[in-house]
Amino acid sequence: MSIEKEFRKLIAQYSGVSPEEVAASCRFREDLGFSSLDFMSLLGEVEDEFDIELAPEKLCDIHTVGEAMNLIASMV
Amino acid sequence: MKKTYELTPAQKMHYRWIRQYRTQQVAGLSIVASIKADIDFDILKKAILLEYQRYGCMRVRFTEPDEEGEVKQYLSDEKITDIPIKDLSDMTMEDADAVMQKWAYETFDGDNIPMCEVFLMKLPEGYNGFFIHMDHRLIDSCGVVVMTNDIMALYTHFKFGSELPEDLADYEEVLTRDLEKEQNPKRFAKDKKFWDEQLDKFGEPLYSDIQGPEVLERARKKHRKKSLRAADIEKKNLFVQVKDYPLEEVPTKEIIDFCMTHNLSITNLLLLGIRTYLSKQNGGQEDISIQNFISRRSTKDEWTSGGSRTVMFPCRTVISQETTFMEAAYIIQNTQNGIYLHAGYDPALIYEEIKKRYKTPKDTTYESCYLTYQPMPVKPDNPYLKEIPMHNKWFANGAATKKMYLTVTHTPDGGMNFSYHYQVADLGEKNMELLHYYLMRIIFRGMENSDMTIGKIIETV
Repeated sequence: MSIEKEFRKLIAQYSGVSPEEVAASCRFREDLGFSSLDFMSLLGEVEDEFDIELAPEKLCDIHTVGEAMNLIASMV
Repeated sequence: MKKTYELTPAQKMHYRWIRQYRTQQVAGLSIVASIKADIDFDILKKAILLEYQRYGCMRVRFTEPDEEGEVKQYLSDEKITDIPIKDLSDMTMEDADAVMQKWAYETFDGDNIPMCEVFLMKLPEGYNGFFIHMDHRLIDSCGVVVMTNDIMALYTHFKFGSELPEDLADYEEVLTRDLEKEQNPKRFAKDKKFWDEQLDKFGEPLYSDIQGPEVLERARKKHRKKSLRAADIEKKNLFVQVKDYPLEEVPTKEIIDFCMTHNLSITNLLLLGIRTYLSKQNGGQEDISIQNFISRRSTKDEWTSGGSRTVMFPCRTVISQETTFMEAAYIIQNTQNGIYLHAGYDPALIYEEIKKRYKTPKDTTYESCYLTYQPMPVKPDNPYLKEIPMHNKWFANGAATKKMYLTVTHTPDGGMNFSYHYQVADLGEKNMELLHYYLMRIIFRGMENSDMTIGKIIETV
């Protein structure tokens, strides 16, 4: 499964939105209803799933699925 | 042979308290859920018996402790066939609440026994429903809300033909995933690094008491150590009293709007309010630690699997008096976000590391205040119950491991409730009045003047 597909699948588990509906432009908080705990828990899963370590200072700049996807892709 | 499982960090936390305080009472959780309507008790019984099958956590039992005193959990397949009915309808509601409060003080003693008890309730003033008493290792407050809503949804399904509620997540599947995550060595190393780095950066935490610095001074004298930074915990008299303060709809909306505008969570605003109060009470102390409960429910499965997913972590911040209210709020937010990322860690390991580094004396603590913020509304989204008056009440277990434990919830009228559980050994209602008064003044002064420094806020409230 591609990284993008895997990531969408993870987001779907948190948001209740199907993976196909998770668009790159979706904002985690406003569109997908993520709380800060949800968002950080998702990132923890991302770290474990893709075996990466996300730098805390970069996390503040992530607002959309696309931004998160780009960051993950740059690290895998 | 039944499949047994280790306890999760959240369950271990409660079990440690049971062992430390030598009573299961500290892990009791009780609620009554009732509506002002005639209830068909045969149907309600059917709904509750079905809930035992749907919501696996209700069937969890614990093995006999091993040589180290550790227990494992398993799901019992013993079929529950009856739910006893209790009739308190001939009393006042106050007296009925007092009777149920006594039930909440009772303990589940023994191994391989049910840790969940349910009664059908006939209550005064035409209220009818059910009372549930459980061990906190089986469920937390979010789980209780999911369970009561599911039971009522089953009841309305059988009674009125409403749609059968969706299946709840499988307890064992979610538990297995949690334990796998916890045992992932890379995850463990990252979490440990995060928590250890806090100590590398700030050194040993410093106790701050609701009543001021004399509590720490008393501990220093008792332990004959002037540099002691932790204070004694109460172990003999665990009795707790509860004082509730409601906040009306308009000021609640101001809090919600402020948080929305500044992209701040209400938990972090509350933590800022409490830490500022503690700083004020302790001569402007800048290094403050507060225990904050995190309910680790993010995915749909985590929400509906039951179990105890509430873990307590110290929110430690060092904030100077010159920091503005808004800057301080974001310092807390960043700290909390880091904690959320590493919340799979067993909090006991944080204290093991502290003890190893600083030789903290036994039965002492760095925190006097504990916070739980529950964003979830208690009122069920069930169209059949919408207009019906309810009597839902949480009962304190009567034994607190914490000096002061504040639970903040949203109320159906759009307001909030601040519920202070305090150990009577050291604290009285007056202390809570003072704390709540200043907490409100600090939060509202800060929201009105978010550029004002913490020092100035402390000075002017």
